[in-house]
Amino acid sequence: MTPRILVVDDDQALAEMIGIVLRAEGYEPEFSADGTDAMAAFQATRPDLVLLDVMLPGIDGIEVCRRIRAESGTPIIMLTAKGDTADVVVGLESGADDYVVKPFNPKELVARIRTRLRPVASDAAVLTVGDITVDVPGHEVRRGDVPISLTPLEFDLLRALAEKPNQVFTREMLLEQVWGYHYKADTRLVNVHVQRLRAKIEHDPDAPRIVTTVRGVGYRAGSQG
Amino acid sequence: MSVPSSFGSLTVRQAWRRVGAWARRGRRAVAFLWRRSLLFRAVAVTVLTTGLAVSVIGTAITLSISNNVYAQRRDQIEAESERATVLAQNIFDAATATEDNNQVELETLQNEAQRSILSTTTSPGGTSIAILRTPGQSTTQTLQNIASPDFPDAVVSAQMRSAVAKNSGELSLQPVALEDSGRRTPGLAVGSTLQIPSAGQYELYLVYDLGDAQKTLDFVSQTLSIGGVALVVLIALVTSLVVRLVVVPIRGAAETSRKIAAGRLDERIPVRGEDDIAILATSFNGMADVMSRQITQLAELSRVQQRFVSDVSHELRTPLTTIRLAGDVLFDARHAFEPAIGRSAELLHAQIERFEVLLADLLEISRYDAQAVELETESMVPAGLVTDIVDEFRPLAESAGVELQLATPGGHVGIEADARRIRRILRNLVGNAIEHGEAKPVQVVVDSDAETVAIAVRDSGIGMPASDVVRVFDRFWRADPSRKRTIGGTGLGLAISLEDAHLHGGRIDVWSQRGAGSTFVLTLPRRLGAAVTASAIPLPPAEEPYDGPRLPDGDAVVAAGAGREQDR
Repeated sequence: MTPRILVVDDDQALAEMIGIVLRAEGYEPEFSADGTDAMAAFQATRPDLVLLDVMLPGIDGIEVCRRIRAESGTPIIMLTAKGDTADVVVGLESGADDYVVKPFNPKELVARIRTRLRPVASDAAVLTVGDITVDVPGHEVRRGDVPISLTPLEFDLLRALAEKPNQVFTREMLLEQVWGYHYKADTRLVNVHVQRLRAKIEHDPDAPRIVTTVRGVGYRAGSQG
Repeated sequence: MSVPSSFGSLTVRQAWRRVGAWARRGRRAVAFLWRRSLLFRAVAVTVLTTGLAVSVIGTAITLSISNNVYAQRRDQIEAESERATVLAQNIFDAATATEDNNQVELETLQNEAQRSILSTTTSPGGTSIAILRTPGQSTTQTLQNIASPDFPDAVVSAQMRSAVAKNSGELSLQPVALEDSGRRTPGLAVGSTLQIPSAGQYELYLVYDLGDAQKTLDFVSQTLSIGGVALVVLIALVTSLVVRLVVVPIRGAAETSRKIAAGRLDERIPVRGEDDIAILATSFNGMADVMSRQITQLAELSRVQQRFVSDVSHELRTPLTTIRLAGDVLFDARHAFEPAIGRSAELLHAQIERFEVLLADLLEISRYDAQAVELETESMVPAGLVTDIVDEFRPLAESAGVELQLATPGGHVGIEADARRIRRILRNLVGNAIEHGEAKPVQVVVDSDAETVAIAVRDSGIGMPASDVVRVFDRFWRADPSRKRTIGGTGLGLAISLEDAHLHGGRIDVWSQRGAGSTFVLTLPRRLGAAVTASAIPLPPAEEPYDGPRLPDGDAVVAAGAGREQDR
């Protein structure tokens, strides 16, 4: 089955061009031209991934992102015209998994999409961190009997950390493992998503015990020692 | 005994030291007030000058009055003494002319003379009298020396007596000091001679007490001193009042301008009345109005510019993305086209990339111009970052036949910096060094001192004359327009690098000589926010030769991945 990708962009030419590139890579593109239609298109097509322009007529991309996140963990990649801090951080905080800065090249775009759509390969079946259970084949996270809903990205992040408990991961290591970046070093991606993950799995996100910060180095699963 | 004395000297020394410390502290406090307080300075200057003037005038007045009083008294005393002498002489003369005088009669005459003299004196201070025989005479009769009971013998000195005896018939005056129950008062002694028939020459001494005159003078000078001090105090008060009238509004103005400088643009000086101070306040407020209007306008302009940059960024980037995607699709399929179209796809692809870099640089520099940039700092180790960049440039260096050498003796300290910007600076410097390095080795050295971290990039290539060095950071400026470009920079690279360095509080120094190569040194403060004054890798002036950054012993410049180059 070919993965479906919803392209939300008001620029017809760019949307069509992205469509050409995606089709060449074996994806099935769907299109939406503004923020107001985007939600309807999302619910109608149930895409496997969303490419979302930040600046949209009607409802802007950030808000669309927030609304999609409210009902689904579908991977979202933001298309941003600006590499400026504020936009990127706001986009990530509203739930985007990753972002691509315009002008991007086809390879870059496809690499981002592939990473988000790749099947999770893991030998381990069930992992535990603190009082959290991660069922890898079942793609499920529970605290006791209560299931916790994570996006695929958050799941990947937690799994990566939980597979090697007490190993310290630098932000660059996580960027490579979870986001598939080899050179790019935008550590904000990691910071923002660790915060989002903590908000869901920690008892007290301000005093994390499951994903802990190792000052000056990075993160690890489980508390010290 | 020695113990208490040494103890005593110790305390004395300590006391001296304490007094010295107080004096120093006092002097410092006064010097501080003098520097800082206009009020204090004005009052001090006024007090000092009026004090000086009052004391000079007071002294002059006192002197003049005392001279006057003294002269008057002296004249009076002179006249009185002369009268007394004549009177006494007459008494003696009259008696001795009529009858034979004998001892008893003479003594009676003497007493009579004394009495009549005392009764004629009008001096208010009191007078003492003495009639003394001039020594060294032999006469038939002698009179005993007589003196009034309170006559101060001590005041008639031997010199005076000889002077009086010599100048018979004249008055000799001598100022003397009188002891009056322990108090010394000024007096005047007057000596004259009496010729007594058959008894020879006698000296008549009259001593006048000038205590009353002195009392008058004392009173006058006391009054003058009190008046002078009162005058000085009064003038000090008046001065401080007047200066306060000026200083208080000035202090207000200073306070207000400080607040305005601190960003409170709405602060104004209250205007009272229509005097000079009010004019100052009005014009100051006018200036503040104009300034705050300008600042608001500039802020608005900057906001508009920022907005414009952001809009242009979006508007240009979206079509560029489409072009790029299309170009890449064509580029990937270029082998399927006939040669001319395939080559066109290649050119299109390369130029889109160039256009993209140029657009990114333009947007970055306009962001700097609009002051719409901010640092995104993280802690990083310069050595690691520089190693990454050098590794990144190895393929390019290899193709250019340049050996990249790296040494990081002082690069293992942690600094807070915007890694993206530092990488951008280093890419620029290393890229330029390779491009202009003439296939000679390029050295990259990281060193640090207590304040700074410095990264030097040195090539031994063509270098630049001094006239080019000053322009090297100018926008779109190229060292040699005829040169073939291999990297294809935008001409904005070093301009942006310099802005990036300045944003960190750092700087980029250049040393270059034609034929000797160029060295660029990026210096960053180790603590973010500190200003860089000196670099851990100092550069000599352009005229002097430079053989690269010096390394500590045993830390040779490592040939980074350059084995193959060395084998060539």
